[in-house]
Amino acid sequence: MTIEKAYMLISVFLFLSGLLGVIIRKNLITLLISTELMLNGVNLALVSADRLVGGVEGQVFALFILAVAASEVAVGLGLIVALFRLKGYEGSSEITHLRD
Amino acid sequence: MEWLIFGFLSTWVVLSVMGVLFLKNPIHALLSFVSLILAVAGMFLHLRAELLAGLQLIIYAVAIVVFYVLVITTIPWEKVKRFEGFYKREFFVGFPVLLLSLALFAYAIIKGNFARVGLEAKDNVKEVGKSLFTTYLFPLEVASVILLTAMIGAILLGRKEE
Repeated sequence: MTIEKAYMLISVFLFLSGLLGVIIRKNLITLLISTELMLNGVNLALVSADRLVGGVEGQVFALFILAVAASEVAVGLGLIVALFRLKGYEGSSEITHLRD
Repeated sequence: MEWLIFGFLSTWVVLSVMGVLFLKNPIHALLSFVSLILAVAGMFLHLRAELLAGLQLIIYAVAIVVFYVLVITTIPWEKVKRFEGFYKREFFVGFPVLLLSLALFAYAIIKGNFARVGLEAKDNVKEVGKSLFTTYLFPLEVASVILLTAMIGAILLGRKEE
């Protein structure tokens, strides 16, 4: 077992715990933070695969994932603020209807 | 020495993940997320992806966390207090499933073989930059359009209704 494979195990752990966070967290903001955990896990998997295979393509894709994460956070937090302002919702169990 | 660094960083990551998942207060969860970002940046440095480690610090630890802090400050605290912690029942259903999938992934990774195709990159920043501005030039432009769209969407969503 090489060190890159160990890092890949850590990345799988990060992704799955982010998924667990999306399932179990109550607050919408912490739910978004768990999504970020999943994105970090994918980044780590790409970089360690890069090191295993030998190349830079994985790092380029990880950079695009960083850009997508930034835009996702902007839109997601905008949605949370709009939901809170319109309805007063703050928990993931409160959003049961897409419209009135 | 390599395994020492790996052990330190992975313990740090596991502790921060526990903080993100199980701490009640959103601010505390956010702080452990910052600590997780620092640990992942250290992992990138250890895997010799220096450019990505720097970008991780700049984009995640500065831009994204500041977004979160701004949004948490706009929401009144007594409202946030209503929903904190995690759902117990969903945890006891979801945790064994995810543990099983972690075991399956671990089996696949430990038993599997990876092909070596390229040579080891000497100068990481130079190689990534070259590849980014020649082979992946069009996806880079598309990423800028995505960021612009997200910015316009966030402004539209965040503006006050008259």
